[in-house]
Amino acid sequence: MSTGSVNLEQCLKCNLCTLVCPMMEVNPDYPGPKKAGPDGERYRLKDPAFFDYALKYCLNCKRCEVACPSDVHIGDMIQSARIKYGSQAKKKGLRGLRDWTLASTDLVGTVSSPVAPLVNGVLGTRPVKAVMDAVLAVDKHRTFPKYSRQKFVSWFRKQDQSAFDRFVTYFHGCYVNYNYPDLGKDFVRLMNAAGYGVHLLNKEKCCGVALMSNGFADKARKQGTVNLDSMRKAVSAGEQVLTTSSTCTFTMRDEYPDVLGLDNSEIRDSLMLATKWLYTKLSAGEIHLNFRKDFKMKVVYHTACHMQKMGWQIYSIALLQMIPGLDLTVLDQNCCGIAGTFGFKKENYGYSQAIGSKLFADVEDSGADIVATDCETCKWQIEMSTGKTVLNPVEILAKAVEF
Amino acid sequence: MKFDVIIIGGGWAGRSVADRLALAGMKVCIVSEGLSLAVAGNNAPYSHLAALQQRGVTVLRGDRAIKGIITGSKATGVITRNLGKDTVLKADVFVLATGKFFSRGLLSDMNHIWEPVFGADVSYDADRTKWADSEFFAHQPFMDFGVLTDEAGHVLAGGNSVVNLYAAGEILSAGSKEFDIDSFIEEYEHRIG
Repeated sequence: MSTGSVNLEQCLKCNLCTLVCPMMEVNPDYPGPKKAGPDGERYRLKDPAFFDYALKYCLNCKRCEVACPSDVHIGDMIQSARIKYGSQAKKKGLRGLRDWTLASTDLVGTVSSPVAPLVNGVLGTRPVKAVMDAVLAVDKHRTFPKYSRQKFVSWFRKQDQSAFDRFVTYFHGCYVNYNYPDLGKDFVRLMNAAGYGVHLLNKEKCCGVALMSNGFADKARKQGTVNLDSMRKAVSAGEQVLTTSSTCTFTMRDEYPDVLGLDNSEIRDSLMLATKWLYTKLSAGEIHLNFRKDFKMKVVYHTACHMQKMGWQIYSIALLQMIPGLDLTVLDQNCCGIAGTFGFKKENYGYSQAIGSKLFADVEDSGADIVATDCETCKWQIEMSTGKTVLNPVEILAKAVEF
Repeated sequence: MKFDVIIIGGGWAGRSVADRLALAGMKVCIVSEGLSLAVAGNNAPYSHLAALQQRGVTVLRGDRAIKGIITGSKATGVITRNLGKDTVLKADVFVLATGKFFSRGLLSDMNHIWEPVFGADVSYDADRTKWADSEFFAHQPFMDFGVLTDEAGHVLAGGNSVVNLYAAGEILSAGSKEFDIDSFIEEYEHRIG
């Protein structure tokens, strides 16, 4: 059951959401959050035929909701409308296949990992990029995140965690498992150094964010149910569920109840980003980490849109500020433009780069060695568009700690 | 997290206070639920908050203070919707700048008006029929309703002064005393030498 339309009457038509919408700035075909959200909802309730297919341009960044003075759930309304009325627009043929492939992170990851060098090599070649661009409409400028030969869970199974008497549960997400196990390894090393053992969820599925934005809400709901069941078990065993991806976290905390209608009330307060957990425990003196004395790094922090929506960047920022030898600048919050799978699609590539241009300029001008952000798709976008290395705050912390 | 001053409300009143205090060198946090319509101009609501952030102010955008904690005669912390109950934001001084009815600084039902964060005392007429004047252009009594303070500007709760809680802007009742930024800064500068 969707709660998307409940508070459309709180909208005063002030247009502050329109002002902060990154898509609105670069794409005149997008009606903007006010029209697509509360205004459009009024019509759609009357007759679903009023559904406007231009709603596909919504990045679901939720900047509109952060700006709204009346707490209208503008982004949820748009997302729910796309799920409810947009299904008939489900693309057929090759673009449908592309959307399905981009959304099926678990399946594609499982298939690709064993043959990672081959997949990475092939996806990186110009002819393959050209064919994917022409046939599947995946933009040729995009660099695919590399698949890792060893999955994070395969590595983790060999780690002995039996020496610990207190534990946290880790939701690693698809990116850590299939593409970037190093982040997960850093997480485990940090938790162990802080005196905590790590468990994985009984069963973990992709959080479903890519499924939702590509029109596969039913599948997302099924995966969400599996994740919530596993998290309830972990939480009832007294463990908190920690993550290293802001978008997975935001999806499971807020989109599950608000868009998919899944009840997460029993676990919501126990599900959090590792940076929030680490900062809270470190500042309360409950855990201790030994920092290296020779550590030096100049970092700019980019607040991902979903991070801003949760308001949790203050933990990541405060955590980075605790590191001796780290020089931190916080950038003004701007959208990077990739919005998950959105920016991979040929028809969106131009918008994606135009939206991100302000951020790219800020990053280039900063003179920093490293960009820190809690979102993996922001990482791909910033690395591709600026050439700077982007790290998760957990990785930076692991580099600064003496193990 | 600990600050010198936490300001609740990101409208004109809250921003002006945050700006002055940050310039004076204080560690300031401002809780701004959405952008403020009171801050006119196309880009101003957004760019003001960004400028405060550049000045070192911790800006909680799109967040709402859901509970202010008062212990004895002092305000000791604030809990927000986004940060959750395990993060109590602490400060030496708190300033309420959440405005009146539209911005939900004051809430009401048919017969009562209250301040939802700290449960501060609110002045209003017990007789519901006297809240508004049917003459549209007359002085409207409800515009005088608001949070009460003592003569030093301390906000009252349960009839007692909360000695480190002040109010600024529209949330004040007519005749109450607004947070005196000038003397507060003077005192601060004197204290730190």
